[in-house]
Amino acid sequence: MTINRVAIIIAFVTGIFMLVQYFIDAVVVNNLYKTLLDYYQIIFAITMIVGGLTLLRVHLRKLVRFDRHSIFSLATVTAILFMVISSIIFGTGTNSPYQWAFNNIQAPMQATTFSLLAFFVASAAYRGFRVRSKPAAVLAIAALIVLLGRSIFGEMISEHLPSLAGWVLNNPSVAAKRGILVGIGLGSVATALRVILGIERSYL
Amino acid sequence: MEMSTLVAVVCTLAIFSFLYRDNPFYRMAEHILIGLSVGFTLVMLYNSVLVPKLLRPLFLEVDLWGIIPLLLGLTMLARMKRSLAKFSKPALALMIGSGAGLSIPAMFEARILRQLAASVEPFAMVGRGEELSFIFICSMIISLIGVISAMVYFFYTRPDTKLIGSISRTGVYFLMIFFGATFGYTVTSRLTLLIGRMEFLLGDFLSIL
Amino acid sequence: MNATNIRRLIFLVILLAVALPLIFNIDLTGRVTDETRQMFDNIEMLQSHSILMVSFDFEASSIAEVRPLAEAILEHACRKELRVVGVSLFAEGTALGEQMLAQVAKKHQLQYGVDYVYLGFRPQYVAAILAMGESIVDEYPADYFGNATAVMPIFRDLKNYNQVDLVVSIADGSMPTYWTEYAVARYDVNLEVALTASMATAFYPYLSSGQIKGLTAGLKGAAEYESLLDCKGGGRRGMFAQSVSQSVVILVIIAGNVVEYFNRRRKWK
Repeated sequence: MTINRVAIIIAFVTGIFMLVQYFIDAVVVNNLYKTLLDYYQIIFAITMIVGGLTLLRVHLRKLVRFDRHSIFSLATVTAILFMVISSIIFGTGTNSPYQWAFNNIQAPMQATTFSLLAFFVASAAYRGFRVRSKPAAVLAIAALIVLLGRSIFGEMISEHLPSLAGWVLNNPSVAAKRGILVGIGLGSVATALRVILGIERSYL
Repeated sequence: MEMSTLVAVVCTLAIFSFLYRDNPFYRMAEHILIGLSVGFTLVMLYNSVLVPKLLRPLFLEVDLWGIIPLLLGLTMLARMKRSLAKFSKPALALMIGSGAGLSIPAMFEARILRQLAASVEPFAMVGRGEELSFIFICSMIISLIGVISAMVYFFYTRPDTKLIGSISRTGVYFLMIFFGATFGYTVTSRLTLLIGRMEFLLGDFLSIL
Repeated sequence: MNATNIRRLIFLVILLAVALPLIFNIDLTGRVTDETRQMFDNIEMLQSHSILMVSFDFEASSIAEVRPLAEAILEHACRKELRVVGVSLFAEGTALGEQMLAQVAKKHQLQYGVDYVYLGFRPQYVAAILAMGESIVDEYPADYFGNATAVMPIFRDLKNYNQVDLVVSIADGSMPTYWTEYAVARYDVNLEVALTASMATAFYPYLSSGQIKGLTAGLKGAAEYESLLDCKGGGRRGMFAQSVSQSVVILVIIAGNVVEYFNRRRKWK
C-alpha cells in the first residue's frame, strides 16, 4: 500500500467521521471529535512552524551567498532570531523585549504598510475608475452613493442619501452577494465531497 | 519623547518612503517586518498550542496518547526536504479530510439553506398576510431577481439561450452594484488606516494634536 | 503633466486632506444607522453579569479602524457590568486585544478572573470555534498568562456557548464568516460583528438573514457607537478627517472622468 493510498484512506475516514458526528450526540463520538480537533490544531501549528523555519532557511541560504541583497536577508534572520531568543530568555510578558518589538516596530510598520493603500486607492481611482460602459457606470454610481451616504457631508447634502445608501447596501448589494455565497457554498460542498471520496487529490 | 516612540516614528517613515519610490530604507524595513512577524507567530504558536496541548500533557501529565499528534506533527517537518516530503501526506490528509468533513454541514446550513430562506422570507410574509409597504415589496422583488440573476451568471455551463443570456446580464448589473458598494466602503477603510498613522505622527511624535 | 507627477500630486492632496482636518479637528456626529443601533441595543438588553465573549480577530495592520470599535464595545460591556471573556483567533490580535481589554478593565476597576478573563490565541479557527462549543476550559486549560482556567470564578458556571449570552467578533477579515458557519450554525450562538469597512458589504447577507444579530463597520460605525454611549473616542475624533478625505477621493474620481471625457472628444475630432 503506497503512502498516497494511506493518505486518501485517512482523508476519507476523518472526513466521513467529521461529517457524521454533526448528527450524532454520543459520548464516544464527542470524545473522538474533540480529540481530532486537538490533533487538527497541533498539526496545523507545527505546519505553520515548518513554514517559518523554511523562510529562515531561504534567507540563511541568501546570506551565505553574500551578494548585495544579503544585508536584507541578514535583517530578516536577525529579526526572527531576536523574537525567538528574547522570548526564551525574557519571556513574552508586557515589558519584555518581545512585546516591545511587537508594539513599537512590528505593529507600527504593519499599520503603515496598509495605510499606503489610501494613497494607491486614490491614485487608482483617478486612473482606473473611468466610466466607459453601462456596467462601469452602475459600479461608479453605487460607489458614489455609498461614499456619500456613509459620510457626514453626504448627510448635509441630502437627508435621503444615508437612506439611499442603506437601501443599496441592504437590497441589491445583498442580493448579489447572496448569489455569490450560494454559488460558493455549492462549489465548496462539491469540492469537500471530492476530497473525502479521494477524487480530488491535489493536496497530495 | 520616549525612545519607543522615536523607533516607531523611524519605522513609520521608512515605510512611507515607498511613496516617493522603492529604496533601501523601505526594503530594510520590509525585511525586518517579515522577520518580526514570523518570529512573533512562531513564539505565539509554541506558547499557545504546543505547550498546553502537546508538551505539557505528554511530558508533565504523561498522557501517552499525545505521541500520536506529536509523531504526525513531526512528519510535517519532512516537507523541508523534497525526498522526504511524502511522509507528511498522512498528517496533511488528516487536516484536509477533517476540514472537508466539518465544512459540509456548515456550508449547507450557513451559505445555502439560510441564505435561500432569507431570499424567500419576504414572500412568506406576504403569504402570512402581513402588512407590507410598497417600497418593501419592490425591494423584495428586486432582491429576488438579483439573487437568481447573480447565480445564473456564475453557472458557466449554462445553456446559451437568449433568456439565460439576458438573466445573466442582469446579474452583471447587480454584481456591479455590489462591487461598487464594496469599493466605496474600501476607500473609507483605507483612508481610516491613513488617519490612524497621521494621528500617531501628528499627535505622539510632533505633539500638534 | 506626466503620470508620475499626477500620482505624486494625488498623494500630496490625500496627505493634506487627512492631516489638515486632524489638526483643525471639528467634532462631527452623524446619523446613527439602523445596524449600529441594533448592535448597541443587543448589548444594552443584556442583564448585568451576562457573559459576553469578545473575539479579537484582527491584525496590527487594521488597528486604526478596529481599535475605536473595540474600545467602544468594551466600554459598553463594562458599563453594563457584563462578564467579558476575551479570545483571539489571530496571533497579532492577541497582544493588541489584551492591551485594549486591560486598559478598559483598569478604568472600570474590574477583577481579573471574576469580571473578565483573557484566554488568548488559538490557531486553526475552525477547530478553535468548534472546540469552544464543547468546552471552553478544555480548549483553554490556561489563560493568556498561564493561569489555570478551571479554578477561576468566571468559569464556575461557564462551560461552553450555551452559557455565553453574546459573542462579538471584532475582525478585519473573514473570521466572522467562520463564526457564522460553525458557531451560529451548530451551536445557535448569538453573534454580532464589528468590522473594518472594507469587509462590511460581505456580511450584510448574514445580517439580513438573521444569522448575525448586529453589525457595525469602520470608523463611522465606531463614531455612531460612541455617540450612543455619549462618549468621545477614536471614532468621533477621526470623522472630520475621514469625511474630508472621502470627499477628496470623490473629486479625484470625478476629475479622472472629466479628463477621460475631454481625451475622448479630442480623439473623435
